Amino acid sequence: MPAGAPMLDTYREVITPEGVPLQLPAAGPVPRALAWLIDLLVRFGVLMVMSPVLLALGDFGQGLYLGLMFLMFWAYPIVLEVWFGQTLGKRVLGLRVVANDGAPLGWMPAIVRNLLRTVDALPFGYAVGLISCLCDPYGRRLGDLVAGSLVVHAPPRAAEPPARIETVLAPPVPLQPGEQIALIAFADRAPALSGPRQNELADIASGLSQASGAAGVLRLYAMANWLLGRR
Amino acid sequence: MKQEQFVTRYQHEWQQFEQWLQRRGGHARSVRGTVDADLPGDETIPQRYRRLCQQLALARHRGYSPQLVERLQQLSQNGHNLLYRTPPPRWSRAVEFLFADFPLAVRSQAGAMWTALALFAVPLVGIFVLLQLKPDLVHMLLSTTQIAQMEKMYDPAADHLGRDSGTDWAMFGHYIMNNISIGLRTFASGLLAGIGTVLVLLFNGITIGAVAGHLQQAGFGEPFWRFVVGHAPFELTAIVIAGGAGLQLGLRLLAPGRMRRIDALIEGGRVGARLCLGVAFMLLVAAFIEAFWSSIAWVPMWGKLTVSGILWTLVILWLWRGGRGSAHAH
Repeated sequence: MPAGAPMLDTYREVITPEGVPLQLPAAGPVPRALAWLIDLLVRFGVLMVMSPVLLALGDFGQGLYLGLMFLMFWAYPIVLEVWFGQTLGKRVLGLRVVANDGAPLGWMPAIVRNLLRTVDALPFGYAVGLISCLCDPYGRRLGDLVAGSLVVHAPPRAAEPPARIETVLAPPVPLQPGEQIALIAFADRAPALSGPRQNELADIASGLSQASGAAGVLRLYAMANWLLGRR
Repeated sequence: MKQEQFVTRYQHEWQQFEQWLQRRGGHARSVRGTVDADLPGDETIPQRYRRLCQQLALARHRGYSPQLVERLQQLSQNGHNLLYRTPPPRWSRAVEFLFADFPLAVRSQAGAMWTALALFAVPLVGIFVLLQLKPDLVHMLLSTTQIAQMEKMYDPAADHLGRDSGTDWAMFGHYIMNNISIGLRTFASGLLAGIGTVLVLLFNGITIGAVAGHLQQAGFGEPFWRFVVGHAPFELTAIVIAGGAGLQLGLRLLAPGRMRRIDALIEGGRVGARLCLGVAFMLLVAAFIEAFWSSIAWVPMWGKLTVSGILWTLVILWLWRGGRGSAHAH
């Protein structure tokens, strides 16, 4: 959030030509490695499923099989990343490949970042890519650096938290955006905490709720309802 | 303006934009020509998107609730992804690339290309000549099993040239998988300051020179040349171009010139990707020739040489003249 001092995070903020800041939460090596593993399994799976069919066609099928292997190895990530912005593995992990400026990935960057896997995979197990990933502030491997691309988290939109109580209460004073976020997050997460901890947290905002203990918690829930537009 | 007023005033616009994205945003081709009466026209979308961006900025500036800001942010992000999406590839563009842009790209990197040619051809010719003078040296370059395999592949008595097993189709697949992968890796390894590419070029030059030199010297030369002359124009040229693409990338890491190193690399990557597309195409053609033409044993030497001569001429003309006077030339 723009309010307050910038927090230490892996967000990359870019400004679109229309002047809107986009926040790109860069993905680290672990989810990307998992996505790569899933992709590997998918590709092997496709080849395994296709092999009896194609090999039954004789030598022509064998040629097709090798052609398919080529496509699975080189074309699979390029085509999927351009068409959908994510391979199947990245989709499962909620990742997306975008250009440095947040725009969808073009053909040339997609080709570059996937061809240069060859270098990132050196000398074994993507060691070069991992080192580059750990050194870069946005977790880019060498292929990403040269392609000008970035792997970001693209989680599905979080559902609005359900209403905790029926009552609605307008906050006595107008709240800043950061304070509104804190209040709504409290209403979202407090039920998972123990009763005393809920009270303890609600007491911090007793100036706002003008109550303490369980009554304060309920008042904060009611204010969160008001903020979420349930009036 | 209070948030409620703001929402009431623009709510309709946002909903329309959202519905348009859902119904017409996905597939430009399938909805082209159709009309949705209750939706805004396609031509108004960029303008609506900019309005939305302005409303988002206003909402942020005035400190409206995070939910509203989040919603507008999401909407504008979807609009952004749609408006700036990659255009679908077109066939006419692919043809134009092949005949004009690719030769231009090769010539624009002339220095790297000539260097790659030297790195590849000098060891090739050198080893070939050396083996004619000192045949025993081949044992330093190739293992005994490799030599035996080569001699079996180019046995003058065999009915198929250049392979020990497999039919045309199977070998076509094999050449695609093998050769194109090597070509693409040759480029990629250039990122290691060009060292990877230099090694690949030298290694390939030495190996090919050793095989050719040994077979020539051992008296298997005639079937060997009959096999390789057909696809050599595309395959050898493609290896050199892939090498040149790798060298220019490595050079940008070493000597970025007046750019930041990362910007120079991005530029080099873009050039390299285009070259690689062409290289993949050339190696595909080479694989086709190698599988279906080069392997025919009954075509006599002069037939193979004539075809090879024509192909060499075409490749050189294509790379030398292709794209001259086109709009992309500079």
